[in-house]
Amino acid sequence: MAVVNEKETGTTVKQSVKQPDGKAAARAKRPLPLWRRHLRDLMQVRAARIAVFFLIFMLLFSFIGPLFSPYGQNQLNVRFAEQAPTIDHWLGTDDYGRDVLTRLMYAGRISMTIGIASTVLSMVLGALIGVASGYFGGWIDAIIMRFADLLMSIPSLPLLIIMAALLSAFDVPPDTRIYYVMVMLSVIGWPGIARMIRGEVLSLREELYMKATEALGLSTRSRLFHHLMPNVYPLLIVQTTLSVAGGILMESTLSFLGLGVMPPNASWGNMMAVASNLMDFQKRPWLWIPPGTAVFVTVVCINVLGDRIRDVVDPRAKEA
Amino acid sequence: MLKYTLKRFGQMILMMFLLSILVFFLFALMPGDFFSGNRKLTPTRLAELRALYGLDKPPLQRYFIWLGNVLHGDFGWSLKYNEPVTDLLKTYMFNSFIVALAAMVIAWTIAVIVGVYSATHQYAFVDKLVTVIVFASLSFPSFFIGLLAIKFFAVDLKWLPVGGMIDTGSNSTGLAYVLEVGRHMILPVLILAFFSAGGLTRYFRSGMLDVLRLDFVRCARARGIKEHAVVYRHALRNALLPAITLLGFELPGLFSGAIITEQIFGWPGIGPIQLDALNAHDYEVLMTCTLLLSFLTILGNFLADVMYSVADPRVRLAQKAEA
Amino acid sequence: MSLATKSRARRITSVLAAAVAALMLAGCGASNNSATSSTPTTVDGSLNKIVYKGDASKSPAKANQRDDTFVTTIGTPSGVFLPYFQDNGWDGNATQPIFNSLVVVDNSGNVKPDLAEKWDISSDGLTYTYHLRKGLKFSDGSPLTAKDVAFTLTLLNDPAYSGGADFTNIGIKGVDEYKNGNAKSISGIKVVDDQTITIETTKVNPLALQTLGGSVLSKAYYGKDYKKGKLDYLKDLYSKPMGDGPYQLSKYVDGQEIRYKANKYYYGGKPKIENLIFKVTSKDTALANFQNGETDDDSFTPDQDNLDQLKSFGFATIRESTVPDISEIWLNNKNDILKDKKVRQALVYGLDRQQIVDVQLKGFGQVANVYAAPTQWSYTEKGVPTYKYNADKAKKLLDEAGWREGSDGIRVKDGKKLTLRYLTSKSDDPVVPIATENYKAIGVNFQPEVLDGDTIIQRWTQGGDWDMVGGFRTNGLVDPDDAINEFYSTNTSVNLTGYDNAEVTKLAKEGIATQDKDKRKEIYAELYKKLGEDVPTILVSYRQSLSAWNARIKNAEDFSTGSGDSSQALAKLEITK
Repeated sequence: MAVVNEKETGTTVKQSVKQPDGKAAARAKRPLPLWRRHLRDLMQVRAARIAVFFLIFMLLFSFIGPLFSPYGQNQLNVRFAEQAPTIDHWLGTDDYGRDVLTRLMYAGRISMTIGIASTVLSMVLGALIGVASGYFGGWIDAIIMRFADLLMSIPSLPLLIIMAALLSAFDVPPDTRIYYVMVMLSVIGWPGIARMIRGEVLSLREELYMKATEALGLSTRSRLFHHLMPNVYPLLIVQTTLSVAGGILMESTLSFLGLGVMPPNASWGNMMAVASNLMDFQKRPWLWIPPGTAVFVTVVCINVLGDRIRDVVDPRAKEA
Repeated sequence: MLKYTLKRFGQMILMMFLLSILVFFLFALMPGDFFSGNRKLTPTRLAELRALYGLDKPPLQRYFIWLGNVLHGDFGWSLKYNEPVTDLLKTYMFNSFIVALAAMVIAWTIAVIVGVYSATHQYAFVDKLVTVIVFASLSFPSFFIGLLAIKFFAVDLKWLPVGGMIDTGSNSTGLAYVLEVGRHMILPVLILAFFSAGGLTRYFRSGMLDVLRLDFVRCARARGIKEHAVVYRHALRNALLPAITLLGFELPGLFSGAIITEQIFGWPGIGPIQLDALNAHDYEVLMTCTLLLSFLTILGNFLADVMYSVADPRVRLAQKAEA
Repeated sequence: MSLATKSRARRITSVLAAAVAALMLAGCGASNNSATSSTPTTVDGSLNKIVYKGDASKSPAKANQRDDTFVTTIGTPSGVFLPYFQDNGWDGNATQPIFNSLVVVDNSGNVKPDLAEKWDISSDGLTYTYHLRKGLKFSDGSPLTAKDVAFTLTLLNDPAYSGGADFTNIGIKGVDEYKNGNAKSISGIKVVDDQTITIETTKVNPLALQTLGGSVLSKAYYGKDYKKGKLDYLKDLYSKPMGDGPYQLSKYVDGQEIRYKANKYYYGGKPKIENLIFKVTSKDTALANFQNGETDDDSFTPDQDNLDQLKSFGFATIRESTVPDISEIWLNNKNDILKDKKVRQALVYGLDRQQIVDVQLKGFGQVANVYAAPTQWSYTEKGVPTYKYNADKAKKLLDEAGWREGSDGIRVKDGKKLTLRYLTSKSDDPVVPIATENYKAIGVNFQPEVLDGDTIIQRWTQGGDWDMVGGFRTNGLVDPDDAINEFYSTNTSVNLTGYDNAEVTKLAKEGIATQDKDKRKEIYAELYKKLGEDVPTILVSYRQSLSAWNARIKNAEDFSTGSGDSSQALAKLEITK
């Protein structure tokens, strides 16, 4: 989402340069800047408004919520373990007697940051490389794509195990390891999206309007970023929003190798892992429903928003 | 076209070679070997064993020995299972393959139908419901859904077996055997299909939405072609095109096994075997699996590229122009 | 991330989640190894108990259909059905019904007769004579004699042998000449007559009796093609075992089940149940399979939920038993901070081990204080310090050791902070949350770190770059020496803590220099006191296992897969019709 806005702001700057009228007069007549129009269109749909509301709520809940909690995230008391919700513990307690609500809030900080950051990072990489590959074609394409093939075939598990050993050997503090891992996963994770974007670009560049940009003698940069990229956004946004859930849950996976959030600190993924069998599932729903719902709400909101942004920014959808 | 295919094929062979280096040294870098986990062994015995299996040689030398063997079709010996790696993989990979294939067919069918329906009825109730189900499936652990399915269908209703591939002590053959295996397959296949259909549905929905906005679709509508025909005959075919790339990605997935699902349902697939091999540091098994899956990834991408250029005339033209 | 990368992510997720599950399974393997014995000699008889008696009439129809088949369960066998050549513990379990041993060891560590009806040990403790039962036969009807025993021991000392059987600490006479020289046979192994064999050794070792008295391989079947230095031919026989046990293999369905048929030549008479099946089940579905009658016998994750469920079935007879292993936190005794005994003691006092036990074992375990499992004959709590949780005592000890509280609450000595890194292989290690809180309270900066098990082992065994290691248990303990040999061994891959105490070393060496059990008992009691005081490691817990069988199976009280005498017990099972 951040990426899209940046690009659009870029365009507005250009427009305002083109029309250097008197400021006061222009403000009344001139159509709203593109990003504001987009924002207006975006908020027109009720679903999008609700999504924005919930996302802001989740952010406040995670980042400000803990200030209002009487408990610490790791404050435990085994005597009160696995208790159902009460007045004292609104969402019950986990297997160590820690307050689930408080942990849910702390977990949100890290899970949302990681989910979104890791996704955006690999999307940006993938999109840039994919567009370049598809657009230039020829040997550039061949080299990029073969390199992508190679990266895609590297088994991640041994790589992660080796990385865990290295990070530990270099005394990187356990709490920060996850960020290194996220960067590494993005570095090896871009080929999937790059291939997909490339496929899209391959067919897009044969479209008439792209031929036209060539005939008009526009610079490569302009053709790429102002004419080709916007047409790729829809696909990119859908992929990005879909992957956020994966990114959030990925963290709990990495925990098994000591590359995720370091216990006892909470993440939505490791909170859900506490309920490890059918009995927990049936008898102690307060262990898994809160983190599951948090992931679900976040992911659905991001996707609803993604869908809407896609409709708004898709140049082909404009006249429809 | 032929030239392009050949060139692409040549690149693929080179890649395979690079990969073999990568895979080998990745595993050579892994901490520990098959014997290091066994604390009962005395250091002398440990040294004896390592020498016996050639683990004491320098990695480079081991690589060439290994590569030589692989080129002769000898993928080594599984220390854990004490049988040739090829024998081990043959059985288990086939078991994984049949489940994955069935799940893929079902998932793609569901995804195309639901995706198209959602796209043509954007923001309608069904579309929203599908969205919610898809994301719920992404947000909660797959593990639970599997266990719930077992509890409901096998324990409470007793319609389907709890797990495994055949009935305990069964000696059935022929058609009876096929039916028996089929019955045991139902739950794992449905669970796998459910989880992969989610993402795919979103993918097709989005692809379909794109295509429906293109000029030729509007043109077709304008010509008075029935909406049904527009959607299924004209739009769908175009929306499926990018899916070819996706199909290429799925190729290795057919053979890689699904660890959690296979484990829960006691299905004798390759997933748990790889996991065991990893825990036991049975690297010959792991290297073969990885190499095979990597090969399939590259092959999948190769096939996708070739198929794509055949299917999409615009791409083909582009490549001709370059060649 | 695209769809493709997403699906890859999911693959890793599952690999890891399953990796953890597998580790737990491996743990259960150990629990199987040790379940119950007919005559518990534990200090606390209630540690091995039937907690619920099932009603056979409530047995599910599916189970009742099998009137001549007993279905028990197994984790992940790999199809190597030849004793001594297996690396997978589950294969060992699967092979037990096929091969009996000369002698067996029950769960208290007592040696009992099996194929050998009696044995003699020379007064110097170096020569062992086994007297085989008369008329022993393999399942093909051929006789089992002392020659087969001699063949088996020769095979295991072949230069090409690569399995786990290890006789270096016994030192059979003549092995070196056979392995590395030109000797045609091992001079220390002598066949006296068909029923008698003597083995001469060079080191006194109380474990030799059971190590030498293992399974017997038929010379006619396994030794047909034997030439010294060439054992490859045996690989073809891995899947075709031929032994002397109550059952013989009929079919192995890869990754599914192992089927056996009763052996009419078994020395104890043909078993009453014609068919035996080891079915592969996972922990997740063990309960469902048992409830549906797919299996007759299984072990379950011990917790109250599972116990309640099992009771509710009505047909299940439920057993709780103590597992002979110990969960410990290893301390680096060579480390600047931890080489101080007072600091080590403070770390035990300052850790609420009861909470760890409560969270992890949910009422199915207890805090450990002795370097022996409660099931072992040498176990005694007499005079052993208990280190009940006491933060004040811990603080006092740290003060005495010169660690003073700094401004940030963390103790300091000579300008160095009291920081301890804790490596664990389990992301759900209960020590992490509890120790983090507990140690903060006494001014210790506790830094947990989760790492792959082998990375830890590597760090642990090579160089001293570690402070504390957790998330591991000892191997299954049989002899009292098993739990303490790491504290006197000079081999660094055995002595992981680097602990070195002349007094302990002397006692421990005396402990294995005699065959006299009473004398050993005294020595170990003294040793437990000494070690308890010295705290080379933090002892955490003993655990219990939970298993159950369908009440339609009679005499199952004595049977438990993997225990030393399981094949004798297996032969006595009956089905109530």
